[in-house]
Amino acid sequence: MTTSKVRRIIAFALTAIALIAIVCGIVTLILRNGQTGEDALQSMRLHSVINASGDVETFVAIAEKQATEAAKQEYNEKYKSLPRNDPNRISMAELTKMRKAEAAEATRAMYANSSVDLSAMDTTGLKAALLDYANKLKDYYDAKDEAEKAYRATHEAEARAKAEAERQQKLEAGEEVIGDPVIVIDMSKFVATDEMLEKQAIADEAYLIVGTELKKFYPLIDDETLNTLKPTLSDIVFQPGDDFALLYDRYVEKGSAVALENAFLATLVRHADDIIYAGLALLILALMILYYETLSKKLGLPRIVLGSFFILLCFLTLWFDLSLPALLSNTLVRLGMNSIMVLAMVPGIQCGISLNLGLPIGLVAGLVGGLCTIEWGIPGIAGFAVAIAIGVVIAAIAGWLYAQMLNRLKGEEMSVTTYVGFSIVSLMCIAWLVLPFNSLKLRWPMGTGLRNTVGLDSTNFKHILDDFLSFSIGDLTIPTGALLFMALMCLLVWLFTRSKTGVAMAAVGNNPRFAEATGINVNKMRVIGTVLSTMLGAIGILVYSQSYGFIQLYTAPRQMGFVAASAILIGGATTTRGKISNVLIGTFLFQGVLTLGMPVANVLVPGSTFSETLRILISNGIILYALTKSGGGSRG
Amino acid sequence: MSADYVLEMKNIGKRYGENTVLEGVTLQVRPGEIHALLGENGAGKSTLMNVLFGMPVIHTTGGFDGQVLLNGEEVHISSPSDAMTKGIGMVHQEFMLLPGFTVTENIKLNREMTNRNLVSRLLGKNMETLDMKAMSSAARKALDSVGMSIDEYTRVEGMPVGYMQFIEIAREIDKTGVKVLVFDEPTAVLTESEAEQLIRVMKAIAETGIAIIFITHRLDEVMEAADAITILRDGHLVTSIQKKNTSIIQLAELMIGRKGEAMVSVESRPLPQDQVALHVDDLYVNMPGEEVRGVSFDVFEGEILGIGGLAGQGKLGIPNGIMSLYDSEGNVEFFGQPLKLGNAADALRAGMAMVSEDRKGVGLLLDQSIEDNIVFTAMQVKKEYLSFLGPISLKNSRQIREQANRMINELDIRCFGPTQHTGTLSGGNQQKVCIARALTMDPKFLFVSEPTRGIDIGAKKLVLETLVKLNREQGMTIVMVSSELQELRSICDRIMIVSEGEVVDTLSPDASDADFGLAMSGIKPSEHKKEAMNNDNQ
Repeated sequence: MTTSKVRRIIAFALTAIALIAIVCGIVTLILRNGQTGEDALQSMRLHSVINASGDVETFVAIAEKQATEAAKQEYNEKYKSLPRNDPNRISMAELTKMRKAEAAEATRAMYANSSVDLSAMDTTGLKAALLDYANKLKDYYDAKDEAEKAYRATHEAEARAKAEAERQQKLEAGEEVIGDPVIVIDMSKFVATDEMLEKQAIADEAYLIVGTELKKFYPLIDDETLNTLKPTLSDIVFQPGDDFALLYDRYVEKGSAVALENAFLATLVRHADDIIYAGLALLILALMILYYETLSKKLGLPRIVLGSFFILLCFLTLWFDLSLPALLSNTLVRLGMNSIMVLAMVPGIQCGISLNLGLPIGLVAGLVGGLCTIEWGIPGIAGFAVAIAIGVVIAAIAGWLYAQMLNRLKGEEMSVTTYVGFSIVSLMCIAWLVLPFNSLKLRWPMGTGLRNTVGLDSTNFKHILDDFLSFSIGDLTIPTGALLFMALMCLLVWLFTRSKTGVAMAAVGNNPRFAEATGINVNKMRVIGTVLSTMLGAIGILVYSQSYGFIQLYTAPRQMGFVAASAILIGGATTTRGKISNVLIGTFLFQGVLTLGMPVANVLVPGSTFSETLRILISNGIILYALTKSGGGSRG
Repeated sequence: MSADYVLEMKNIGKRYGENTVLEGVTLQVRPGEIHALLGENGAGKSTLMNVLFGMPVIHTTGGFDGQVLLNGEEVHISSPSDAMTKGIGMVHQEFMLLPGFTVTENIKLNREMTNRNLVSRLLGKNMETLDMKAMSSAARKALDSVGMSIDEYTRVEGMPVGYMQFIEIAREIDKTGVKVLVFDEPTAVLTESEAEQLIRVMKAIAETGIAIIFITHRLDEVMEAADAITILRDGHLVTSIQKKNTSIIQLAELMIGRKGEAMVSVESRPLPQDQVALHVDDLYVNMPGEEVRGVSFDVFEGEILGIGGLAGQGKLGIPNGIMSLYDSEGNVEFFGQPLKLGNAADALRAGMAMVSEDRKGVGLLLDQSIEDNIVFTAMQVKKEYLSFLGPISLKNSRQIREQANRMINELDIRCFGPTQHTGTLSGGNQQKVCIARALTMDPKFLFVSEPTRGIDIGAKKLVLETLVKLNREQGMTIVMVSSELQELRSICDRIMIVSEGEVVDTLSPDASDADFGLAMSGIKPSEHKKEAMNNDNQ
């Protein structure tokens, strides 16, 4: 049997399973929203509530308390009048003790067979009461939420002003201030609104009905006990943000799964969405197996491997009920913030210096530009523009010198660029200590030198691109400005590659002897490519910083060249061939796997330090994998 | 039993995969005989010697067929060092000498004569003292036998190449038990007088009973030195004859031979001689392995000039030098205008174009599409296929696509479309893309260098027909460089033969095989005839 045949059979089998799963999931999802789901929840809720209120010891305590009262009365009636030497007379303490023991025994006997036998009793009343209570509670919490929101909105300006004032004070005192002031709204003065009180009263009334119903099961329950039980029961019945899955899990945790009539069906109903996700995942897997050859030819193996991993992570986040849209918007932000640095690899590859691992030259140039705007206090978009302008000019000069060196060391580009990248970072470590910046935002409050991380805030260019025209769809926030800027830079680079110079430059990278035979000045083209790459690096780090919210100095830029190189390699570039599509695909996959991978790993292996270890593992792992593919990988 | 032959190679056959490079070749060498091995490039001489020396390249590709007999006994030679112990020596074309060592040390390298001493008695043979006296006298003897008066204590460093050649020979002679010595193109680097001396030495060595296999392309040397001659052509044995039974002209004929019918036939026409398109005067080109040492020639407008010659003789250097792909100097005039050498763009701008012999190295951008390859030179040099937006120039995709499609149709480039990468095309189609790129320049003058190398027969025919069509219909002047004499003879108006970096003669395509054979071995046919006539008269 040929492999393609085997593949087809496997693919069809998987598709069949996937379709069954999806249909099954949809059916159970309908059931969940219909009567079946409601029934399951109700019986579990009932069970939980009865269990919670039907604690034997509580009843024993109640019975004992009642017995004590009764004993006191009995003593007063029967024995108090008897003479002291009467043999029938007993002390009050003894009587109380005796009666208490009797009551406890009786109560224990009464509830001996665990709780109440639900089947024998009419539960409709309690069920209805609980449902009503849940709805009323929901109304109350909604009202509370709204009221609090309104309160926050009205008091935000005040809190902001206060924070600003504090910050100003600190700055004047010469203390360290990083980032925007944290606005804390004082909720202590929040007073419940009339509406809230009204809703609360209604909920309380509903609780009373629940109480009345409960008394039918537990005759011993008195009003005081009901009051004690109130927080417990209300937590069981309703919590803000509840949905089917949360409620179900809460009841299962309380051991109420036994109350289900059809546990299997209920489990299916609970996992209806997960079944659909699994079905979809299988369907994608089947398609990938079916079209493996076409895919591997079009995309190459590395992209299939990482793409599958990314899709797998997407499904895992859904499975673990993490917010996929929030994580995806994180990915988009990181795509925008990293893509320009990855784009900087393109002119380098095309002009024949292969991967420009000396990118830190451009990065530090950009950082200097950024520091200048902070020093001069140029706000907003103008500041960002000035930072880019200064960065690009410095990068152009440094890039030109760097290119001269590369032209004298042809054939050794990989080691030269790596070495230069490391060296410039180390050199700048000294420079950051001696550069004549004076702003307290930049300097250590004591001693000399610049801070390790300079916090950007709203007076600089923090999030200037990310927030531009950004909008949200549910949890998914689109950083429109950053993505537009990325598109603009890609367009410019694309136009350049189509110009006469760009075409000549690509030929130099592709085959220098060919270019020479056409009379093209190979060295000049290499200089152009290197300078462009360095300039893009300067812009790239500023885009990165505005999104990150901090300017990182000292050793921070050291790894960035490798990250950018890996991203473009993952995107399908080789050391001699790189396109803009490689940049976009590569950055998305790299950052996507990184942003989705960590939350998922945290769920899989909970632990406080694991996420940081994993971040390093994943990012360096991808870099290593990408570098093994630097020869071009297994493109068909 | 003493055999007639010291070395016999019987029915040797060798295949590299599908490719048969030797078939049924027999070589018989008598003791004390100088046996010349003749053949064009690719005739199978080197493969035969590789078999003789048991080179790894033979064993790793599946061995060979046939037998090798030394003194009548079959031997299996497993490696070059094995060959050496069995008495087969080689004088290499590239010298294998240690420059910092003296002549003696080089001759006796690894065969040093030693005296035992105290340390060596304790620590073994490696610690024995060199017996410099004995070594010098042995070296002296070897040097004398090759006629070298040079002091045996001199260092090899800085010696003229001719001396090094003789030291190599001395080293081989000094080895005891040498039965067969192979000289691989020994005269290629020697001056005329040194070459004469070498031949004298060879004869002297042969007189001592050592057989010599002499590989060369110089027919006059063969006639002077050899006793017997074996000629190979295309991996087959042509003939094995005694020198006294043959003549230089016959050898030339046998070496070249007619290889089947011409693929393309062209009606003969009067040679266009109205205007000189390209005048080359005293051109020197420093192209490694293909040096040109002062050539002068004219190319007439409208003709197809062929440049032929054996590999490594400098024919490739001529177009590469004029197009400034390698360092070159000399006077070149193009339609009366002086052409500055040094920048490829100048020649291209003047209206010349070239299809390089190094398709993958120089001729193509393998990672780019067919259309980008085709328009590249025109775009860069003539600024065509661009659309301008003020100072910014962008590729004009529509024009590029049109031109690419036109070329794909005209030259019958077999591809999936103009966006296919050239690296995935077959050799013949890659060559067509190279031609398309040259034609897109709309040149007046076209150099094609080895246009049919490594492509299949169908593509060869089409390439040659295209060249003829361009010449006849558009009047394009074409200079075609090729190792395939048959191709040159089928389409060229004149054929210039280059040997050792110089032009030997310019022949008509109808000239005899013998003339071509003589010219390729560096002998001008007309002069040879004159000489022969003189000899006859005497």
